[in-house]
Amino acid sequence: MWKNSNLRCLLALAILCLRSLTYSQEIASLGDPQNLKCVTRNLHKMLCTWDISSRGRHGQTDFCYTTNDLTTQVCSKTKERRVELPVPERSITVTIKSSGTAFATKEFVIHQKDISFVPDPPHILSLMPDFPTSTLNLKWIDNGSVFPYGLDALWQIQILRKEAMEVVTQVTYYSKLTHENIILSWNWTSDMPLECTSHYVKIRCYINATQFVGPKEWSDWSPAGMIPGKDAEPGGSGVFPLDPVVAVGSDLTFCCVHEEDQRITNMTYGSKSYTMMRLSSRSHAIKVLNASVSNSSGTNVVCRLENGLEGSVVFVGYAPDSPQNLSCETLNFLMIKCTWKPGRPSGLYGERRTKYSLFERTSGKNVSCEVSEMNKDHVCGFPVLPDQKIYDFILGVSNPLGQAQSSLLVDITQRVRPKTPEKLTVTGNNSTSIQLRWFINGSFAEIRLLCQIEITSSHYERKLHNVSMPGRKSSTYSAQLSALHPDTKYQFRVRCSAADHFWRWSDWSRGVEQTTSEAPPARGPDIWRERSPSGESIIVFWKPLSLSETNGKIVSHEVSCHLLETVLEHKIVFEPSSSTEIKLGKSDCVISVVARNHAGSSPPSRITSVELPSDNVTTDQAMAMGNGINISWDSYPNMTCGYIVKWCHSSGSEPCSVDWQKFPSNTTNVVIKSALFKPGVRYNFSLYGCKSMGYQLLKNITGYMKELPPKTAPNFIVEETSSDSILVKWEDIPIDECRGFLKGYLLSFAKGEKDALKPRLSESGNPELKVNNITDLTKKSMKILDLQGKTSYQLELQAYTAGGLSPPNSLYVVTKEDSVGLIIAILIPVAVVVLLGVLASIFCYRKREWIKETFYPEIPNPENSKALQFQRNICEGNKTLKTLEMNPCTPNSVEVVETQPSAPKIEDTEMMSPAEETTVPEDGSDSEMENHVVVSYCPPIIEEEISNPPTDEPGESSQVVYIDIQSMYQPQIKPEEEPEIDIVTTAGYKPQMQLSIRALKIEGHSPVEEDLDKTAGYRPQTNTNAWNMGTPDSPGSVESNNENVSFGSPCSINSRQFLLPPKDDEDSPKPINTGWSFTHFFQNKPND
Amino acid sequence: MAAADSPSAALRRDLCSRGIRLAGKMRADVVDLLDAYVEQQGLDASASVAAVEGVPLAAVERWDEQTGTQRLLENLAAYRAFRALLAQMLEEQREQLGEADAGLGRALAAVLLQVSAFAYHLEELLRLESRGIPGEEEEDGPPPPPRLSLFEQKLRGLGVLRELAQWAVRSVRDLRQLAKPSPATGAAPSLAESP
Repeated sequence: MWKNSNLRCLLALAILCLRSLTYSQEIASLGDPQNLKCVTRNLHKMLCTWDISSRGRHGQTDFCYTTNDLTTQVCSKTKERRVELPVPERSITVTIKSSGTAFATKEFVIHQKDISFVPDPPHILSLMPDFPTSTLNLKWIDNGSVFPYGLDALWQIQILRKEAMEVVTQVTYYSKLTHENIILSWNWTSDMPLECTSHYVKIRCYINATQFVGPKEWSDWSPAGMIPGKDAEPGGSGVFPLDPVVAVGSDLTFCCVHEEDQRITNMTYGSKSYTMMRLSSRSHAIKVLNASVSNSSGTNVVCRLENGLEGSVVFVGYAPDSPQNLSCETLNFLMIKCTWKPGRPSGLYGERRTKYSLFERTSGKNVSCEVSEMNKDHVCGFPVLPDQKIYDFILGVSNPLGQAQSSLLVDITQRVRPKTPEKLTVTGNNSTSIQLRWFINGSFAEIRLLCQIEITSSHYERKLHNVSMPGRKSSTYSAQLSALHPDTKYQFRVRCSAADHFWRWSDWSRGVEQTTSEAPPARGPDIWRERSPSGESIIVFWKPLSLSETNGKIVSHEVSCHLLETVLEHKIVFEPSSSTEIKLGKSDCVISVVARNHAGSSPPSRITSVELPSDNVTTDQAMAMGNGINISWDSYPNMTCGYIVKWCHSSGSEPCSVDWQKFPSNTTNVVIKSALFKPGVRYNFSLYGCKSMGYQLLKNITGYMKELPPKTAPNFIVEETSSDSILVKWEDIPIDECRGFLKGYLLSFAKGEKDALKPRLSESGNPELKVNNITDLTKKSMKILDLQGKTSYQLELQAYTAGGLSPPNSLYVVTKEDSVGLIIAILIPVAVVVLLGVLASIFCYRKREWIKETFYPEIPNPENSKALQFQRNICEGNKTLKTLEMNPCTPNSVEVVETQPSAPKIEDTEMMSPAEETTVPEDGSDSEMENHVVVSYCPPIIEEEISNPPTDEPGESSQVVYIDIQSMYQPQIKPEEEPEIDIVTTAGYKPQMQLSIRALKIEGHSPVEEDLDKTAGYRPQTNTNAWNMGTPDSPGSVESNNENVSFGSPCSINSRQFLLPPKDDEDSPKPINTGWSFTHFFQNKPND
Repeated sequence: MAAADSPSAALRRDLCSRGIRLAGKMRADVVDLLDAYVEQQGLDASASVAAVEGVPLAAVERWDEQTGTQRLLENLAAYRAFRALLAQMLEEQREQLGEADAGLGRALAAVLLQVSAFAYHLEELLRLESRGIPGEEEEDGPPPPPRLSLFEQKLRGLGVLRELAQWAVRSVRDLRQLAKPSPATGAAPSLAESP
């Protein structure tokens, strides 16, 4: 009972305590346990921590917990404020009682959602650098054994660099947990060599536990793993990366690590200096972008220090190309030779070069190829394997930057290109056949060989002779060649291939030469004979045999003459003669000719000397074919053994050489061709018919290979001319100059004077050209009719052939005068004049009263006065100034004063000057010059009239009238001129032209006249210098102050007027226009 | 004077004069090779290079006081070293360049041949004086140096050729000195003065 009561008391107390704890948690009073936090790292256990006030901090804590699964509370005592508990499936109730405080008990209920899941930081198993590749390798354990199977795990890895641990990169790695501890590995390649500075690696994880409902967090970072750079290494120095091989276009970072107390001057890549980046106190770096291919010895990266030099060599190149055109063949069935083209050069040499290997898949055999980098074609040998025909090759290519391959499947028996045949020799030789032997190195026992023999000689076409033979192992092969020409020098060479599956020919062997031996000539020569003009002998001709027929060098010909069985004549004619004469008299025989060489004689050629008589042998013309001469004839049935066309070539002064050609009996048309034929040369052919008895001349033929125009023009003359016709005669052109068969003549004529520069009539295009075509070659003259009398004609004569026209021959002929026409031409005008005279006489007779009344009235009409007529002429300014008639004029002087309307007429007279024309004085001081013309008259001492066309108006003529007007006009004479005046006065007026005329007629010049001239005093006009007026420095210019002086104008010293009109323009004098000049004098002279 | 006319003295003079010609030719060839080497390797001709390990320096203190034998022995040691170094250079050149730039390889081989010939010539001179010819240190020599980086190889090659050019000059002077008749005896200087 006590016991029960005690137990009841304890239970009551506990309940009381729990109540108070619950209460305390709810109240959360000071000094109570608080902020209970639970964190799990493996989803099995969790670590709970709490805070306690300062009063109970040093005491012991009772800790109890219970879960739904537990029937009893689990308690424990702890001095720390943390306890490890299992992770509940749903919730857990925790009671924490601090010691020393009766009421410091608190109860917590922890649900799973309140528990954080934070995995442990990953443990780095290893961190390994690979300096040549700048790659680091990280290994860690995933700790998966503590977690359920299949959870996703994320790993965050951070790379840090330099002393300051700058983050370079951060990556997330994914894995799945397998409830086992797995080692995970991760590689990272740095853009900077790992030697340049220290690198650090940290890792943390996140496990995606989907069943766990509480918050899930990343683990803490693992402790950093470190890869120390060379700058962290005492005494470490150098340029990194060291001697790398990189691809063209890469971006490269180089660093220079040096001692602490050193200083970098600069860093260069090749010859270029780069800006440096500081990595640490001992390390600096440069960055090179897009590196280009380096040279064979690499590109130097140099780091210049204050007292030293560090460097590295970088090789920049290309990864290998795939081999192209891979081809394999065998030359000897011992080795297979594979060739290919390497493609783009890698730019890498030596130990970094591209390496090749040939792998055969069937046999599994691999061969390393030694190839020359400098060759365009690469070659690799592979041994022929026994009992293997099919080869499956893979050509592998690699260099430090990459690799490639190419494959080829080949049946080696179909890829045979035998080695070049050697030791080619000629064995066995006669005139038409030889035997060749050669050797081929190789084992060709399994195939047949096809060998080709090339046969060449200077006289015959190149021939190829194929011969097939079974292959053997390194053996000698032979072939027999026949149908060769005797006495011919041949060149032979051989090449071979596989006979059954042709792949390629071998190279040609070295050539050998061999000359075949001689044989007797193949046939007798082609012969002809001609009887000499005297008929006493026969000349035998033969043609040389062709090269293929001589079979050796012809040394002689044997000519014999048989009559039945009797040899009348036998001659041996040595080369190079091709004819001989046999004296037979008038008899005939059968002529036989045999050609001989060193090997023997040819079969004989025979011909009879009998020439049958011929009747009516005509001469025809052959047709020129351009390259030969076409000869045709009618068929002669009697000619049983064919025809012979014979002709003769003559060149220059040498006697003509006979040539001939034989044709069968059915031939009637042939074209004779010869290299000796020349265009424009006439050849004479004789056609012979062959009968059993002999040969008969059938006809002669002349012909040209090609007709040309006649070389010269036909000569012709004018035989007779009349007023309307010309008779022309011409001669034949010599045959040599015809150069073709003459077809006719062309006679052309047209009016034309003889002129050396005139073109040919045919080329002149003269519309009056007439051409007569004379086709009748027998006609040698022609009369040209319907010509005009007393007219010059040009005649041209040309001959023409089928080849064209000859050059023309020209003549000029003047037809005779037509006398009848002339008479008519004279008589008609005379008759007309007589008729008009008669008609005028009749008219005058009938109108005589009216004429008398009009022209000779009994009371004169003052209007018909001569004097008035004269006056009117002057006043009207008539251009033709008439000389005053002397007889009816009795007064000494007449002054006519014209009224105003007459003034303009005066301006038109020769008195008009340019000054007067432009300026008309208003004061009228010179008015008498304009409207007051004084005409004085005295019987002249000398009067001369000069017909002088003064200006450009040829129809206008002027008369100069010299008048002595001394009595009515006294000019202002300067004192110094007085002596001259006196002389002039004594001499009277001397016309100015007198001296000039005298000067031109100097031969007829009398001394008396000369004296007169000297005393005449005045003669400015006679001074030839003075004629050249208008020059500023001329004497006339000096005297230009005298207003009456018009230089060059003929004038009288007593005259106040110039006798010739003054020049229009002082600045541009034109003597021709002044009315009279020295040049006009000459021009007018012939007209005088 | 009688000694000067002895066959051995005449032979020595002849050997010296031929050696001078050899060294002169070698000097000219090495200078040409140096230019080609600097250009082909992309180096700076003015770059200063540290002394090459294993090559006695041509410059020496108290050159005038050296005996003939000393001169010959130093020359021989130097040219033997050059022979080994040039052979190594040639091998490295073939390794690194393969068939590319074969001209440089040929020039290097030609100089190597001249160096070998000159070393043999020096041995002849020593033999003439009945001096023992020191053995080569190939078999019991120091272990080969650690493999150099390519840049270090280039610099070493530059240093070897520069020093070889210097040595060619010194060898000419040394051989001229040897060829001079000794002022004390009126004959060629005794090579037996070596300490």
